[in-house]
Amino acid sequence: MATVVDITVEVCGMAGDGAIAAGALINEALSRGGFSVLGFDSYPAEIRGFGRCVTRSRIGSEEIVAMGAETHVLISLNEAEARSRIPFLAHRAMVIFESNPPTYVHHDSSFVAELPPDKLLFGMPLSDLASEATGATRGRNLTALGGFAAVCGINPALFIEVIEKKFKSKGEKVLHTNVKSFEAGYAYAAKEYSEKREHAFQFPELLRQDGKVMLSGNQAIGMAALDAGLKLYFGYPITPATPIMEFLAAALPKKGGRVVQMEDEIASIGAVLGSFYAGARSMTATSGPGFALMTELITHGVMAEIPAVIVNAQRGGPATGLPTKTEQSDLHAAVFGGPGDSARIVIAPTNVSECYHYTVKSFQLAEKYQTPVIVLTDFYLDNRVENVVIPRASEAETRNGNVFPPASEKGNYKRYCLTESGISPRALPGMEGYIFTATGLEHTEKGLPDYSPEVHTLMTEKRHKKIASALADLPEPEVYFGDDRLDVGVIGWGSTFGSVLEATRTSRKKGLRVAALKITSLSPLHTTIIQGFMERCSHVLVPELNYEGQLANLIGHLHHRPVVRLNLVTGTPFPPSMIIQKIEDLIHGEAA
Amino acid sequence: MARERCVIIGNGPAANAAAAALRQETSDLDIMLIGEESFPHYRPHLLPAYVAGSLQKEDLFVTPASFYEECDIRIRLGQRVTHVKFDQRELVLSHKEIVPFDALIIACGGMQRIPERLQIFEELMLTLKTPADAQKWRAGLQTAETILILGGDLTSLSFAKALVSTGKRVQFILQEQSFWPLPLTPTLADEVKQRLTRSGVEVLEASRVHRLTQLSQDVIEVETDVGLMTANLVGAFYGLAPNVKFLVRSGLDVERGVLVDENLRTRFDLVYAAGDCAQIYHPALRDYWVSIGYKNALEQGKVAAQNLAGGMTTVAASPANIFCVEGVMVNTSWWMEF
Repeated sequence: MATVVDITVEVCGMAGDGAIAAGALINEALSRGGFSVLGFDSYPAEIRGFGRCVTRSRIGSEEIVAMGAETHVLISLNEAEARSRIPFLAHRAMVIFESNPPTYVHHDSSFVAELPPDKLLFGMPLSDLASEATGATRGRNLTALGGFAAVCGINPALFIEVIEKKFKSKGEKVLHTNVKSFEAGYAYAAKEYSEKREHAFQFPELLRQDGKVMLSGNQAIGMAALDAGLKLYFGYPITPATPIMEFLAAALPKKGGRVVQMEDEIASIGAVLGSFYAGARSMTATSGPGFALMTELITHGVMAEIPAVIVNAQRGGPATGLPTKTEQSDLHAAVFGGPGDSARIVIAPTNVSECYHYTVKSFQLAEKYQTPVIVLTDFYLDNRVENVVIPRASEAETRNGNVFPPASEKGNYKRYCLTESGISPRALPGMEGYIFTATGLEHTEKGLPDYSPEVHTLMTEKRHKKIASALADLPEPEVYFGDDRLDVGVIGWGSTFGSVLEATRTSRKKGLRVAALKITSLSPLHTTIIQGFMERCSHVLVPELNYEGQLANLIGHLHHRPVVRLNLVTGTPFPPSMIIQKIEDLIHGEAA
Repeated sequence: MARERCVIIGNGPAANAAAAALRQETSDLDIMLIGEESFPHYRPHLLPAYVAGSLQKEDLFVTPASFYEECDIRIRLGQRVTHVKFDQRELVLSHKEIVPFDALIIACGGMQRIPERLQIFEELMLTLKTPADAQKWRAGLQTAETILILGGDLTSLSFAKALVSTGKRVQFILQEQSFWPLPLTPTLADEVKQRLTRSGVEVLEASRVHRLTQLSQDVIEVETDVGLMTANLVGAFYGLAPNVKFLVRSGLDVERGVLVDENLRTRFDLVYAAGDCAQIYHPALRDYWVSIGYKNALEQGKVAAQNLAGGMTTVAASPANIFCVEGVMVNTSWWMEF
């Protein structure tokens, strides 16, 4: 029977040590090697110079859908920073560390001294090896990777290939330096640890997979926007949304589009509404604080029925909050944020592939339903990488969603005419015979300001009916594993759903009657389907990365008994083990 | 106020016995055990049975991790002491960590000894000192038919018999002068040969190995004083040498092992040595002697700890101390050959 691999590798260093770069190389090399890979970086909020950088890669021979809590291999590029990672080490975890630091370290402050006795230690003189091989210590992160490959029995050619790919464009000297640094570490560990490596985890050789790429959620969103025919991107930099702008700044002009850095987020959403008003697909991406600034104009889009695509890449909040930590605490803001009854579409992908497909879809939805569509992601989803087959959108997915008025309405065009679905055909400026007023004031079917009780009632109903009718085009909640009766049903959204899925799978392997429900359309909600699922469950568990239980607040009333909330605000991804524990507690009656 | 710290160098029987005894003697001492190998405390004398498949790997190990936790003993595995500064009461680990100590027990055991003239062929020979060595033997034995044992220390005798029990062809070149540290007398050598033969081991006429050559992936050619022969695996069994190189310039009295008195004290206050790495003074002999074997190491570890805690126990050994070698009584126990 083939070995089942499920290993989490962590590279930890100080900003500037190259920990993030090393992690990216691990991800790509092992992806090529045929493994399923999910990687996630954690770095300081400060721009550069100090702070701990950690990159974690979970590598599996079967599909990996979430980040685990434990680390099996820790590669330390800075022992002072790596000390904080010790509590996360699994039993018999391997630790690769600098064995010849520049100065002596007293026992009381020694990283190695703090390691529990069950850990397998692989000290390497990283700086010395890199220096001897290349004349400089800069490549010591690559030297550590060489040691990792040697100790874990990974074909070094996989790493050499990805190093060549990464550094080829930087010239022969840079490429040579990095390859030599890697080789020095590989040779040292292969010789020094020829015996000890037998006790380390050995990666089996799998069939290579060259058709997959490492893609982050943000990259997938950028690619999706391009494939959807994006013409204009307006934005203001903010973590963790900035990589979308960076990606598009490089790629969009090549396709004839433009990226404009605006003076702030208000200007960005204003420009997006202006572009869509004129018929051009446009987009902006921001995070919590920026999204807060946008809310008035988002509701302007709702009122004036102008399409917009807004990515809200959530981070820890409120206010400036935790810029480089993950959280799912903007759900209420995304669904309800802003003045008035301003229903809009909110869609939340749960993995990288969905980041692509739902972003593509959001343009069509925005056009068809003439309303802002919010793609709600979070730091963990934006920054994590998965190895996926390069996504491609179908012609049906990218098709223009605009509903234009018929010729019969020429000269007597009612921009906001009341219809069964709430959708009023929308003319673009310049279309002859379709003059109209678009305003943020309450208005008549023709768009003329009118504050009468009758008009406001009718128009409010129209706008909400329109959003409700969008359900037909929005992805339905998906049930994973179906029994008629369930002891626990776990409902997840966004990046947390991967943890929900893994926890459910694991619990079912233990014989528990558990199932998962994935909700991606958060506004409007498929309440009938959600309620149908809930009715089959003795307990409904809703794990979320927020304090208030924001999804639980939205769907809790659909169940005959209180849903069980499981909330975490540590700024880190939801560990599946926590959900598993809660499931078991519920089934065994230890928690309510 | 920080607790006083006793560091024990080693993780074998002497070191572990010392740690356990020390904890019994005193509850408020910070006890730290530093072992170079990554394995938990194991019984090396059971390795032949493990290689032969009559024991499971877990049977090798003595002390569960919970013991150290319960006894509040800090154990650090896979970490090597590179030197000891006795005047500053601190030692240095290979990764440049400085560990201060108030008391020290050196129980670092022995390292596999291969005669100098054979060291250039080291890569072609297997040894059997650790579970990692045993793992290599087990891997090699999956395809090997003929095994040649060189040397003739205590381990080799039980190992040869264990290999025979697996149905392999086992050949033995008993090098009498290599029965280290105990040279065999001609009479004892004859008796050992007879016993090996009765066990099904082919004891060869050769007495000296000149050269080893890798003929193919699984065939090694051995040139001896009586001609050429081949084997699939070759084992080197020349005993253990005290693992004390790191102490040579420390100021400690080191000959072949660490010189200690009959109470296992070194010349430094609160510094003791025990087990295979110690060379113990015997007042009756007026000379130093060395012990080998698991039980002796356990006993010495305990004695060192008791004395460190204020006792004055003497290591139990008489000039007429006797070892039992595969049923052969060896009536010498002191250092004879270096």
